[in-house]
Amino acid sequence: MEQPAAAVAAAAPEEGRGEEAAAGWAWSWGAGTDGQLGNGGFDDYHLPQPLLLPIRCRGRVSLVAGGGAHAIALTSDGEVFTWGRGTHGQLGHGNLDSIAHPKSVKFLENHTVTCVSAGWNHSGFATDSGKLFMCGDGSFGQLGTGDNHCRNLPFEVAYFTTRHIEKLALGMRHSLVLLKDNSVYGFGSARRGQVGQCASRNEKSHNVPRLIAGFADFKIVNIYANGDHSAALDEYGHLYIWGRALIGEHDNDQPRAVLPSLSISQVALGWHHALVLSERELFIIGVYRHQKCDLPVPGNAAGQQPKTSAARSSHDVSSSMTTLQKVPHNDGEHVVQIASGTEHSALLTDRGSIFTWGWGEHGQLGLGDTSDQVVPQRVNIGVSPGSRSVYCGSGFTIAVGLV
Amino acid sequence: MSAYDEVEIEDMEWNAELKAYTYPCPCGDLFQITLEDLRLGEEIARCPSCSLFLTVVYNAEDFAEAKEPPQKPGPTPVAVA
Repeated sequence: MEQPAAAVAAAAPEEGRGEEAAAGWAWSWGAGTDGQLGNGGFDDYHLPQPLLLPIRCRGRVSLVAGGGAHAIALTSDGEVFTWGRGTHGQLGHGNLDSIAHPKSVKFLENHTVTCVSAGWNHSGFATDSGKLFMCGDGSFGQLGTGDNHCRNLPFEVAYFTTRHIEKLALGMRHSLVLLKDNSVYGFGSARRGQVGQCASRNEKSHNVPRLIAGFADFKIVNIYANGDHSAALDEYGHLYIWGRALIGEHDNDQPRAVLPSLSISQVALGWHHALVLSERELFIIGVYRHQKCDLPVPGNAAGQQPKTSAARSSHDVSSSMTTLQKVPHNDGEHVVQIASGTEHSALLTDRGSIFTWGWGEHGQLGLGDTSDQVVPQRVNIGVSPGSRSVYCGSGFTIAVGLV
Repeated sequence: MSAYDEVEIEDMEWNAELKAYTYPCPCGDLFQITLEDLRLGEEIARCPSCSLFLTVVYNAEDFAEAKEPPQKPGPTPVAVA
């Protein structure tokens, strides 16, 4: 479904909405059939395309959150843009339309948003005053509103009215929030333990936020969610993981400290893998599930363990083989940022280079084809005047210049 | 080619528009299996956008004469106080 370059160029001015089209500083590539590339089209693209954020946002984008098929961009002064699939109201524009260009979320105009996150079909926004707003699919209670309704405008989560939200992280069907008082709450699907311990086995979801206990007494600096996985990182670089098992078959409904010997600075979760960055070394826990067992395993294989259960179907063979692998290094460049989609990942180096690897069927690696890659490959997005950031949604990737 | 994942039918969502049970596909689209498929004992849910497929775990007897599930409340505009 790759489009000729001319079609892309033609789309840019039209969707610029009166503002100068934003070529040359923000890009997107991969699955695009719901408009999640924000490039004015509804097709997949296998090479970086201009992402149509207004030019006034240039150098001001502080975070982009990629969901199932939508995305949220946050600027350094607290403005929020959304685009892509809107079927459940996840764009927060008061309707169910999908749009192929970033659009400012009017509802949040009078708030200064400081953190955003995107789940499969839901979105969350935290403000400088500590308020939490949610919209999109609520059928698993993932909006935390005490019901299972969808919302197409950001809706303040009343449970936290007297508390101060610092960060949020949304997974496929669940949500996590980190409060200023260092507590972590979860809501939404509880099927794999991703929102913590259930009072009974019959509880499949929670639409009222619940405290997740089990962390050591250190300050938690970040939380992460994707698929049915949850994670938190504390100030000393200790990583906690809970939810669906990344390795083997045993889900965890309590935060479990993993990799105690590493001091971890960044984490990125996929649906069957996690990336951890520790002192410039990049590791992967689990595997890209789409890859079949006959693919070679990258790097050293120090973490391999024998398959423990013989009774599972063939797709489990690969997932139970691998524990922790070092991701091969690239040309003396140091990794400074990591991101994961469902089955692909991206990294940014200290020289501003972007590398991608994993599943490539929709062009989400940005290498001009639909091949999978076992080791990180350099994406060619031309000369950048300054530093960049890279972000992933389920089947797509976004890069933004910071200058 | 093996299945991308294995999912229990109770973790799938009924989609009245598609007339199928669905589950998120990592590409952004949905794995789908119709009621008719389930009645026939089919256990593969496919994604219309990519090559991946799921194995669906369910009790065939439950679907031998199954009817369409009631529709869930859809997304509605909700005013914020």
